[in-house]
Amino acid sequence: MNSLSKLTLVATTSLMLLSSTAFAQQKVFNIWDFEAADSSNGITFNKALEEFKTAHPDVTVNFQLKTFQQLQASGSMILNSDQAPDVLEYNKGNATAGLVASQGLLLPLDDYYKSQGWDKILNEGDLVLSKYDDKGIYGSGHIYGISVYGEYVSCFYNIDMFDKAGLKPPTTIDEWVADMEAFKKQGITPLALGAVDTSGQHLLASLAYTKADDTWIKNYQGLKAPLDGAPYLYAAQTLVDWVNKGYISKDSTGMKDQDAALLYTSGKAPMYVSGTWNLGSFSSTIKTFKWGQFVIPTPKYSVGSTGNLWVVPKGSKNPDLAAEWISLTLSPKYQTELGNNGGVAIAADPATITNPVGKNAIAVFNQIAGKSGLGFYPDWPVPGYYDVLNQKDTGLFQGTLTPEQFVEQIKKVYDDVQSSQ
Amino acid sequence: MAGAIGTYAQHRRGYYLYLVPGAIGFTLIVLIPQIANFVLSFTAWKGVGTPRWIGVQNYQKLLTDDQFWGSMIHTLMFIVSMTIIPVAIGVVLASLLFDYVRDQFGERVSNLFRAGFYLPQILPITTAGVLWGWILSPVGVANIVFKAIGLGGLAQNWIGDATWALPSVSLMIVWIQVGYCLVVFMAGLSRIDPSLYEAAQLDGAGWGQRLVSITIPLLAPEIFVVTLTTLIAALKLFAPVFVLTAAGPDNATMVPSYLTYYHFFTTQRVGYGGAIAVVQMILTVALAVIFLRFQARQQATE
Amino acid sequence: MADAVLDIADRSASKTAAVHGRRQRGVGRWLVLGVVVLGLLATLFPFFLAIINAIKTSAEYASTGPLALPRSIDLVQLQKYWDLSDFGRKLLNSAIISGCVAVFGVILSTLNAYAIGIGKVRGSRVILVLLLLGIMVPQESIVYPIYYMAKAVGIYDTQLAVIIVLTVLQSAFGTYLLSSVLGSFPREIIEAAEIDGANRWQVLWRVVIPILRPTLMVIGTFFFIWTWNEFLIPLVMLVSNNNQTVTLAMGLTRGQNLSDPVLQAAASLLGIAPTVIFFLIFQRTLTRGIVAGAVK
Repeated sequence: MNSLSKLTLVATTSLMLLSSTAFAQQKVFNIWDFEAADSSNGITFNKALEEFKTAHPDVTVNFQLKTFQQLQASGSMILNSDQAPDVLEYNKGNATAGLVASQGLLLPLDDYYKSQGWDKILNEGDLVLSKYDDKGIYGSGHIYGISVYGEYVSCFYNIDMFDKAGLKPPTTIDEWVADMEAFKKQGITPLALGAVDTSGQHLLASLAYTKADDTWIKNYQGLKAPLDGAPYLYAAQTLVDWVNKGYISKDSTGMKDQDAALLYTSGKAPMYVSGTWNLGSFSSTIKTFKWGQFVIPTPKYSVGSTGNLWVVPKGSKNPDLAAEWISLTLSPKYQTELGNNGGVAIAADPATITNPVGKNAIAVFNQIAGKSGLGFYPDWPVPGYYDVLNQKDTGLFQGTLTPEQFVEQIKKVYDDVQSSQ
Repeated sequence: MAGAIGTYAQHRRGYYLYLVPGAIGFTLIVLIPQIANFVLSFTAWKGVGTPRWIGVQNYQKLLTDDQFWGSMIHTLMFIVSMTIIPVAIGVVLASLLFDYVRDQFGERVSNLFRAGFYLPQILPITTAGVLWGWILSPVGVANIVFKAIGLGGLAQNWIGDATWALPSVSLMIVWIQVGYCLVVFMAGLSRIDPSLYEAAQLDGAGWGQRLVSITIPLLAPEIFVVTLTTLIAALKLFAPVFVLTAAGPDNATMVPSYLTYYHFFTTQRVGYGGAIAVVQMILTVALAVIFLRFQARQQATE
Repeated sequence: MADAVLDIADRSASKTAAVHGRRQRGVGRWLVLGVVVLGLLATLFPFFLAIINAIKTSAEYASTGPLALPRSIDLVQLQKYWDLSDFGRKLLNSAIISGCVAVFGVILSTLNAYAIGIGKVRGSRVILVLLLLGIMVPQESIVYPIYYMAKAVGIYDTQLAVIIVLTVLQSAFGTYLLSSVLGSFPREIIEAAEIDGANRWQVLWRVVIPILRPTLMVIGTFFFIWTWNEFLIPLVMLVSNNNQTVTLAMGLTRGQNLSDPVLQAAASLLGIAPTVIFFLIFQRTLTRGIVAGAVK
C-alpha cells in the first residue's frame, strides 16, 4: 500500500471512531462555567465542585470550562441542541438570558426557588435579573436563573500615589476632578482607560448614572421609551472635557482594558475605572503598592448588577442535581468562601469575611444594592449595543464625534430597537 | 478495442460519475445553505424559533445603513493590502530570492528565507491578532521603539485612531499574505528557462528590465491565480478585523463579513445579516467574473 | 509533461548555478542580503514577542509590560495554559481534523478535476464557475443552515461535521487548481493507456495520480494549514471542549471581562510551535509540487 492509500485508511478509520458517540453507563452530570480558574469565582466554584463530587459518588460529574467567546457567539445555538449541559453559567440580561428564556430553552426555576429555600437567602432585588417575561424582558415573569455573586464598577486607585500627593479618595465629582487636576499638574495622566473595551463605556455610564433617576433607569433598561439623552450628554461632555484637560489620554482609544489595567498595576496611572472582576487578578499581581477602590460619587445609581446566572437548560437530564448545585453555591459556607477569595458574594455577611478585599467589596455592593442603586450595564437594553457604545466612545475620545453627535447616534440605534418592540 | 471505449460521447459521459461526490458535497454545503440564506434574508429571525416573513425590508434598511456602505469602501481599501501589495512584493521578493540569493548564497539559504517569510501564513489568526495587538497598542512595541530611537513623533495610536486603524490592519494582512504569494511565485520561477535571462543579460538588460520583460510575463499564470484567490479572500475578509480592531474605532475597519457576523450572533438579526451576505456574495461573483474575463482576454492575446 | 517540467526545473537549477556563478562578488550582494534579512527579521519579530512573554510570570508582566525581556525563565504560564486548555487534546483534534480534510479534500479535488480536466465533460465551464462560488462563499452565511442540518442528522458537535464542511469548501480551490493542471495533461499518455485497455478508473489511478503526486502533496499541505487555522466553523460546530481545536483554545485567555496577557503569550507560543514544526517538515513539498504546474 503506498503512502496515499495508507493515509486514506487512517483518515477513514479515525473518522469512523470520531463519529460514534460514547454512551456513559452511569448518570452523567454536565456542568459548565466560564470563570477563570484563578479568579475568586473560579476558585470558589471549583472547591464547591469537589464537595459536590464527593457528595454524589454515583454520578460522573463532567465539568467543562468554556470560553466566554464561544458562549457569546453560539450560546443560543448550543442551548437549542442536545449538547446543552445540565446546568451552566449564562450571561444575565435581555439580550442573552432573556432571549433564550423567551424561546423556551430554559427550565423555569420557580418551584426550586421555594423547595430549595433560596427564598430565604435571596431578596427581591437579587431576583430582578433572574426573571424574564415571554418577550425576554427582565424584571417579571418566571425565574430562569440564579445569581450567586454581584459585581459593580468603581474606581481603583493607587493609595501610595494618593498619599504622596496628599490627596484623599473623592466623595463628589468635583473632588474627583480636583484630584485629577492635582495629578495632571505633576505631569501624570490620572485616569487609565481602555476605550476599545468595557472600561470606556463603564466610565461613560457611571457618569451618566449620576444624573439618572428611577424613571430614567427603568425606561432605559426596560426599553420602555425612546432614549432620553440628557444623562449621556452630560457624561459625553464631561469626558470630552477630561480628555481635553489631559485627565484621560487620547491614546486610550487604542487601548484594551488589559493595557489600561497594566498602566495601573505598573504604577504609572493612579486611577483606573473598572469592575470587581479585577479584584482577583489585582490581589495576586499588585505587589509594589497599596491599592484600593472608591465608589464613583453618585446620588443613587452605579454601574453594577447581580452576577451571571446559573441556568438550567430545558432538556437538562438532571434538573434536581442542578438545583442542588445552585443551592451549594448559595449556601453560607460557599458564600463566605467566595468572600474570602476576594469575590463579591451576594448573600454573605461581611462580618464573617476575613479577606479584606472581599469584605470591603461585599460591603460596598450591599450598600449600593441596599438603596436599589444597581443601574445595570449600559449595553443591556439593545442586543449589540456593546459594540455600538464602544464604537461611538472611541469617536468621542478621538474627537471625531461631538457629544451631541454621540448622543444622537446612540439614540438612533436605541430608538430603532425600542420602537419595534 | 473500440468496444472497450465505446463512442466518444459515451466515453465522456462516463466521467460524470467522478463528479458525483463533489456534486453532493457542493449541494449540501454550498448550494442549500446559500439558498437558505437567501430566503432568510427576506425574514426577521432571531436564530431560534420561527422566522417571520418581511419581504424586502432588510434590503431597504441596507440602503441607508452607514455601517454597510462603510464596509464596502473599506473592502476596496483592503484589496490593496490583501492583493495588490502582497502580489507586488511577492514577485519582487521571489525574483530576488530565486535569482540573486540562490546564486550568490546557495539554495539552502534561499529556502531558509522562503520558510521564514511563509511562517506568518501558518499561524492561527487568533495568535497573530494577539501578537500584533502588542505591537500596535499605543503603549505597545511600535511606539516604544519609535520613542527609544528618538522618533517619538512617529508614535501613533495605531489601532485606536480612525486614520491609522485600517492601515494597521492592512500591515498585519500584508505580513500574512506575502508568504503565500512568495511560495507560489518562487515555484513558478523555477520553470522559466534561465537561458532567457542569459540572453537578456548579454543584451545588456539590467535586473529591473529582466523582471519586467521576462519574469512577469512568464509568471503570468501564477500571478493570475494568486491575484484571483487573494481578491476573493479580500472580499471575504473577517478574521484579521475580528481579532485586531473589532471593526473599530467607530466602524473605521468594518467589513461586510464582520457586519454579517455581528448581526448573526450579537444583535441576533439573522435575516438582516443574511441580506448583507447575499449582497456581498453578488458583488464577489461580479468582481470575479470581471477578473476572469480580463484574464481570459490577456491569455488569448498571448 | 509534468514530468518533463520537473526535469527542466532540475536542469535549469544547475544551469542557473553554473551561469550566474561567475557573477562578480562585491558590496552589491551583501546589500541585497541585508535588505532581505531585515525583511525577514521584521517578519519574525512577532514570534519573538510571543516567546519572551510566554516565559514571564504574571506579576512580572504586570509590572514591566510586554517589551521587557524576561528576568528569568518561568514556564509556569506555559504549563498552566497546557493544562487549562488540555492542549494535548486540542493538538490531537486539530491534527485529526486538518489531516482528514487534507486527505479527503485532495481525493475530492482529484475526482472532480479528473472529470473536468481530462474527461472534459460537457458543462465544465459552468462547473468551474460553480466551484469558484464555493470559494467565494463567506462562511458566516452558511453557518446557521449547516448548524440546523448537522443537528438534524445528529452530527452537531462532532469533528465529522467540521471535516465534511471544510473538505467541501477547501476542495473548491483544489479542484480549480487541479483542473487547470489536468487540462494541459498530455493526452498521448492517456490515449496510450486506454489503448492498452485501461478503463477510466485505472487511468486515473495508475497513470494520472503518480504523475500528479507532487501537486497533490502541495494541495494537501495547503489544505492542512488552512484547516488548522480555521476559526468560525469550529467555533460554531464544536461545542464540547474535547472536540475543540487549537485555534479555539485561544479564547480561554480572554474571559468575559478580563484577559490574561501572559497566558495569551503562552497560548501564542504553543499555538505557533506545532505549525512551525509541521512547516519545517513539509516545506520541501511545497516547492516541488507547485513546480509541476501551478497553473496552465
